[in-house]
Amino acid sequence: MSETIEGLRSELRSWLVDNAPSDWRLADTHEGFVAGQRGWFARLVEAGYAVPHWPQQWPGGGRSLAEQKVIYEELARADAPRLLLTFVSTYHAFATLSECGSAEQQERYLPRILEGETWCQGFSEPGAGSDLAAIRTRAVLDGDHYVINGQKIWSTMAQYADRCLLLVRTDSSGPKQAGLSYLLMDMKAPGVTTRPIRQIQGDEEFAEIFLDDVRIPVSERVGEEGEGWKVAQATLASERGLTLMELSYRMRGAMWRLADLIHANGRNDDPGVLRDFGRLSARVDSVCAIADAYLQKRIEGTESIGDAALVKLGYSRCLRAWADFGVRIGGVSEQYRAPITFGDLNTGNWMADFMNSYAWTIAGGSDEVQRNIISERMLGMPREPKHWTQEASQ
Amino acid sequence: MSLSRDELIAAAEQAFDSQSLAPDATQSWQTISEMGWLAMCVPEDRGGLGQGSEARAVIHHALGRALVPGPAIAQMMVIDALTGGSRSDEADTILEMAMAGERMTASLALNIGDVLSAVPDADMSSHLLHITDERVALVPMASCEAEQRETWDETRRLFDVRIGGEQRLVLAEGDEARTLSETIRGNMLLALAADSLGGAEAALAISIEYLGTRHQFERPLAMFQALKHRCADMRVAISLADALLWQEATSASLSLTRAGALKAQASRVYKEVAEEAIQLHGGIGLTLEHPCHLFLKRAFLNCALGGDADYWEERAGRECLASA
Repeated sequence: MSETIEGLRSELRSWLVDNAPSDWRLADTHEGFVAGQRGWFARLVEAGYAVPHWPQQWPGGGRSLAEQKVIYEELARADAPRLLLTFVSTYHAFATLSECGSAEQQERYLPRILEGETWCQGFSEPGAGSDLAAIRTRAVLDGDHYVINGQKIWSTMAQYADRCLLLVRTDSSGPKQAGLSYLLMDMKAPGVTTRPIRQIQGDEEFAEIFLDDVRIPVSERVGEEGEGWKVAQATLASERGLTLMELSYRMRGAMWRLADLIHANGRNDDPGVLRDFGRLSARVDSVCAIADAYLQKRIEGTESIGDAALVKLGYSRCLRAWADFGVRIGGVSEQYRAPITFGDLNTGNWMADFMNSYAWTIAGGSDEVQRNIISERMLGMPREPKHWTQEASQ
Repeated sequence: MSLSRDELIAAAEQAFDSQSLAPDATQSWQTISEMGWLAMCVPEDRGGLGQGSEARAVIHHALGRALVPGPAIAQMMVIDALTGGSRSDEADTILEMAMAGERMTASLALNIGDVLSAVPDADMSSHLLHITDERVALVPMASCEAEQRETWDETRRLFDVRIGGEQRLVLAEGDEARTLSETIRGNMLLALAADSLGGAEAALAISIEYLGTRHQFERPLAMFQALKHRCADMRVAISLADALLWQEATSASLSLTRAGALKAQASRVYKEVAEEAIQLHGGIGLTLEHPCHLFLKRAFLNCALGGDADYWEERAGRECLASA
């Protein structure tokens, strides 16, 4: 097996020499970045490296875990762009439609993902972040269409997306989870408006989505009416599983940035710096190891509640520490603004990386939500009684 | 035949129940011998069970979790030296005795020279492992002077030993000695890491259990989010170090530095969890009759044994810098 793995590594390495975009970090407009993302995705699809986590029947799919790891590691080592624009389409949309979509929906949408159709996720709302089930965007049935009104926020690359995984409220009468439904929305439909969100490091990775009387055919519903919460779990599970392995290995593959920085600042014989670097390196290794072990459990079907939260919390805190170390070693010069790289987490613009790391400590279930999941559902510690919150809000 | 991790863990849990902490030393040593654990990682052609590092990690994890006393780590270092060193009739005889439970010992510190520190159960041991830059050898304890040092950790008995006499069984010299000593020390570090994570697991478990039973302000302490989140963070820290432990324990070749970085992480996690365990137990955690302090003391000792985090992390940093 190791022969094929090493074969794949050298094959990919030489392919990357000829094909990896070298100038993508210079993109200074969002449009330029998006064009670069589209081109890079198409090239990866053609070469069979875009979707190693998909099943075998798809071109480029059916890779073993070991092969996937090699691919992510080599892409990071070659400093190739991370696929941000197609992140939601290749992970969230693919997982949701594969697990919960109808045969017709799968047939219509899955092949288009490889052709470059992009998706965004319409889950969070201004009033529903950690408490996702509290969403208020309404879908009202009108003949064979739902009419949607409301607002979504923190939607990755929504301003460039073709379609949206939309979580809506179809019923307000019962428990809040039970009144949700899951729809597939055309982002070009009348009544859909997006507005990018300027983040603290200067990127615009997320957008708000405004929905005014948007009409979505009932045939675009995933699952039954009222099953939206269940379908949404499939979407969220994809984020906490596979993506974290890719990102962990990309973080490890980018350790050379810290090594270069240590050398450039003449700190390569400083025992304190070396200690912290050695410690961080072992921590990154342990994050990769837990992401590995988690995926192995998923494959074997032995995953327990909370396992994904351990991986996410392990990764998010380590990502922050990774950037923090760079800011520290870089000294004053890191406090001078330098151009940022769009859509990457381990760029070597350490202040920007630090600020960007909040995307992983807040989005996709904040660190605090993960701690609740671990303590309550894994460690069996009791939840606060419901009446506390009622007392507090009175 | 390779045993699966789950089979090994189940057997280990049966041998040392995590509910009976710090069991009797003599009885524990007998159990360890009877379970065949001392022969676990010895090749089959030398009369052992031929298991690898994963089995070693399972054993020390179980010993750490139940705070088992005794010189198991030192004994296995001697056994590693005998199986990895040059073979002779004398070596075979001593190896057989060691696998059967005749106590033999080694320094768990990284010291070199004629006075060894942190040598467990030297007064009960027949042989002492002596590692120098040039040589790996076994010395009869009868020719050494041992002085017991009272340790904070009550689950271990440590001695300073002055090596005496000329009589020794040389197992390796020169480059072979250096390679063998790296193997022995790498295994020691893996064992210390596993012992630490077993202890951390148990310390977290008793803390969570206590928080669930202790009521203040008309509710169990476990209901306070401030405490829940601290437990969750400890769970994450233990699980991350665990993942690294099992990965290293199953890797084809474990480098000494990687083992050191692993041990540094694992023992730090142990110390942090044990430190928190006393705080979470409140007053009862400060009493001698409660086992919390045993974890804290063993954790501190594990941090110090086998080279401390400063040493290993600096070394790991240098290697990463050279290879990144």
